[in-house]
Amino acid sequence: MINLIQNETIKLLRRRRFAIVIGILVAILAIVSYSQYRQLREQRNRNWRAEIQQRVANYQNTLRRGRINPSWQRSLRAEINRLQFYLDHDIEPDKPTAPIFVRTFANVAGFLLLPLLVGVLGSDIVSAENAEGTDKLLLTRPVRRWKILTSKLITLWMFATLTLFCGAVLSYLISAPVLPRGGWNAPMFTGFTITRAGFKADTIRQLPLWNDTLIAYGLEWYALLTVASIALMLSVIFRSSAASIGTMLASLIGGTIITRISPDWTAGKYLFVSALPLADYYTGEPPPYDGMTMTFCIGLLGVWAIATTIVAYVLFTRRDVFG
Amino acid sequence: MKAQASETSALVASNLTKVIGKRTIVDSVSFQLRAGEVFGFLGPNGAGKTTTIRMLVGLIRPTAGSVKICGYDVRHQFEDAMRCIGCIVETPDLYRFMTGRENLEHFARMLHVGDSDIERVARIVGLSHRLDQRVREYSLGMRQRLGIAQALLGHPRLLILDEPANGLDPAGIREIRELLRGLAATGLSVFVSSHLLAEIELMCDRVAIIHKGKILRDGTVRDLISSQRAMEFHVTDVARASALLQERNVPFTPNHDRLFLPIEERDAAPIIRTLIDNGVDVFSARPRVQTLEEMFIDVTGGESVD
Repeated sequence: MINLIQNETIKLLRRRRFAIVIGILVAILAIVSYSQYRQLREQRNRNWRAEIQQRVANYQNTLRRGRINPSWQRSLRAEINRLQFYLDHDIEPDKPTAPIFVRTFANVAGFLLLPLLVGVLGSDIVSAENAEGTDKLLLTRPVRRWKILTSKLITLWMFATLTLFCGAVLSYLISAPVLPRGGWNAPMFTGFTITRAGFKADTIRQLPLWNDTLIAYGLEWYALLTVASIALMLSVIFRSSAASIGTMLASLIGGTIITRISPDWTAGKYLFVSALPLADYYTGEPPPYDGMTMTFCIGLLGVWAIATTIVAYVLFTRRDVFG
Repeated sequence: MKAQASETSALVASNLTKVIGKRTIVDSVSFQLRAGEVFGFLGPNGAGKTTTIRMLVGLIRPTAGSVKICGYDVRHQFEDAMRCIGCIVETPDLYRFMTGRENLEHFARMLHVGDSDIERVARIVGLSHRLDQRVREYSLGMRQRLGIAQALLGHPRLLILDEPANGLDPAGIREIRELLRGLAATGLSVFVSSHLLAEIELMCDRVAIIHKGKILRDGTVRDLISSQRAMEFHVTDVARASALLQERNVPFTPNHDRLFLPIEERDAAPIIRTLIDNGVDVFSARPRVQTLEEMFIDVTGGESVD
């Protein structure tokens, strides 16, 4: 099995996919760190308490005027409570530092960028062999088909993990020269729960930033493994690289659009994309549909990962390989 | 007796059948390959050649029938069976973005063989000096040879090669032919499909002809050709000669100014004497050895070869 994984790793690297992924990460992170750096410079002399108080007042005015839909009301109330919490505890939120940049990357990249990158890496791991005709050789060697697919799945998981790891390391390395480097122990407040009743502060936990970051990345890692499993299935179903990568990207982007623009279609909560931004939900971002608890999201992703993996194995081990 | 035969056979295909939808693509195809034999598999396009080969190597699951390689059932003892073979199915597709050596290393890792075997097979096919080039830059002939090198990596007892002469120049074809004959001399069995009949005739000990999913003929090249042996007579008066032969109940086929008789050369003398005695002059009488190609066109009903 180690030999097979070594083969798959070499092929994945030789196809230059991973180099492209790292390139995209570096480019995006460089641009974002620059903008953070600009923000930091502009905010050097600001009175953050006054600013936050102003924001709270604005939101309260909006609420008082009424005539906004209930879910918008809910999130406004949540935001007001969150800001109030910072004011009460005299903590400056949103101050860019390199550790916060790393932490924010998990949320911002987690909901679309990282899944897209994993999709690019993995969606043709099988279909490229079909397209290039090398499947005929790969499948006529004395290795059972399920072992071949397992080696591909493990390789994908490895690279999904590596992509996330590189994202974290790169976001620190790229932002550290321009943003304050320290602050790993800064307190973070997570667990702002929004229910129908409103904002609940009693579930709020205070964690040091490094610990909070680990949790966010752990959740993101889990989400990316699910994405990798879905990518594997698509690469088995389709016989061309373009079709499988295209379908993967379309379902990620299309799914994200659907969950953002039609929150009334409640069946949308069973789409894997609605559960994908685990790090966001952990931070307190309200999920697009009611009833999406963290347990539900983790469970949903697990079901998707298992179901797609089963489909991939059944198809791959049973199908006839024609030209 | 029969069980013993299949044990020593490198390859036994029994009643292989593939039905897709309502179409029977391969219909009860059976044949055997003995050790050290070069077996030719011949058929026009769409005859079921490739489907049969894909069933032999486990890429397609047969609707009925079985394949045994070195005594191992391809479906139930896949790994054991595959350890005995090296193959190229259709085109010699290897990873184009890797070098020849990286490709061989890739497959060596699947077979648990080492660098010495990579050097060995590269030497056999004469690619040692081009091994560190990307396959993308290889000519079709070089890819064909790299494909054969890959097939030889695991010390197989049976080689299955689909159209190995494809894309090669005449010198390359000859090289491959000598290579395969040399390998067969060491006890390796070789299964070759080809559309080059002359090639099959030169290279193979035995041939099977497949058409519309069925095997029409199966035998040694010599037997297949001699079964079609005839004497060709060129005479002055075909009508009169025909009448004379009919009187004596000798079977024949007239064709313009010639007559074809399904007889051996040594039996021609009395016929010639009869014709001349009855006033029909014989310009020539010669044995006509049918080529495999003519026989092929005969048995497949004149459809073009691949």
